[in-house]
Amino acid sequence: MSENHLPTVDLDQKLSEQTPQEILAYALEQFDNIAISFSGAEDVVLIDMAYKIAPKKVQAFSLDTGRLHSETYRYIEKVREHYNITIDVVFPESEAVNNLVREKGLFSFYKDDHKECCSIRKIGPLRRKLLTVDAWITGQRRDQSPGTRAAIPVIQDDKAFARPGASLTKFNPLANWSSDQVWAYIRSNNVPYNELHDRGFVSIGCEPCTRATGPNQHEREGRWWWEEATLKECGLHDVNIKK
Amino acid sequence: MKITLVKKIKLDGSLCKKCEEVQQKLEATGQIDLIDEVLIADERDPSSQGMELASLFNVDRAPFFLVEREGEAPEIHTIYFKFVKDVLNQKTREEDDLKEILNDNPDLDFL
Repeated sequence: MSENHLPTVDLDQKLSEQTPQEILAYALEQFDNIAISFSGAEDVVLIDMAYKIAPKKVQAFSLDTGRLHSETYRYIEKVREHYNITIDVVFPESEAVNNLVREKGLFSFYKDDHKECCSIRKIGPLRRKLLTVDAWITGQRRDQSPGTRAAIPVIQDDKAFARPGASLTKFNPLANWSSDQVWAYIRSNNVPYNELHDRGFVSIGCEPCTRATGPNQHEREGRWWWEEATLKECGLHDVNIKK
Repeated sequence: MKITLVKKIKLDGSLCKKCEEVQQKLEATGQIDLIDEVLIADERDPSSQGMELASLFNVDRAPFFLVEREGEAPEIHTIYFKFVKDVLNQKTREEDDLKEILNDNPDLDFL
């Protein structure tokens, strides 16, 4: 069954009390043209869960920014073979990448911030992919970033990527799960995982923008760490000015 | 078609930064002439017209555009460049578009 528009706010309250598997089952039941966003990290649990619910309906995609770790490429391939599913690997527009690199070099994100590069290498292909589906599923969790993900709903009306005149529904079945719960699922179900996790990488993104984290560091500290430092410095200046 | 722009006044009485930027872009491009009504969502006054509209349509960010066409369900647009492209049928620069989406949805970079 495929519906054009769901009452996402009411549904969010109801689905928030359900398990990720129940949320996924609901999503897969509601939409035929639905895809799982797979980053090549621990969001593999979504593929595993969906595969156990409706193996023939699993449609996944990955954003290949061109800057992923070789381990991640190998892992995406491993997942494809393990579940025997199609993973649609989508790429940024070459002209946009060319322009960015010609103008600012290969590491502009260390000097400016990561947003320009992310918008070209991730958001552009993501948008193109989402124009082809009615709903999508992400592994976003509230505990991943207290700053930007604290209020992630389980289901939302995705106005940013919807086709003109149509609606796009976004499901975040893991929103209420913690990292510990995700990893307990991976281990107890023998789900294949990215080898970088065994080397201290908690969050995995592009190679230049991801690093391993140490004990008691939040996973966000493994991504764009140079920007966090800048923010802290600005905060101090602000206090000084007020004094 | 009727287009309503809703801008936000923050608790400290100032206009939200993005509302200011969008207002400037609308004026610079002449698109402001295509806006039929401008309403204020004053965070200090839940009964202000803009706040009531935001509540009615369950919008949690500003500015936003309400587009009403006869015989059709009203549309809400929270992304300026998407609004310009989809509603005003004007060309936008892809990179501006994408940057705005990421700025409005900072959780996406973690994808």
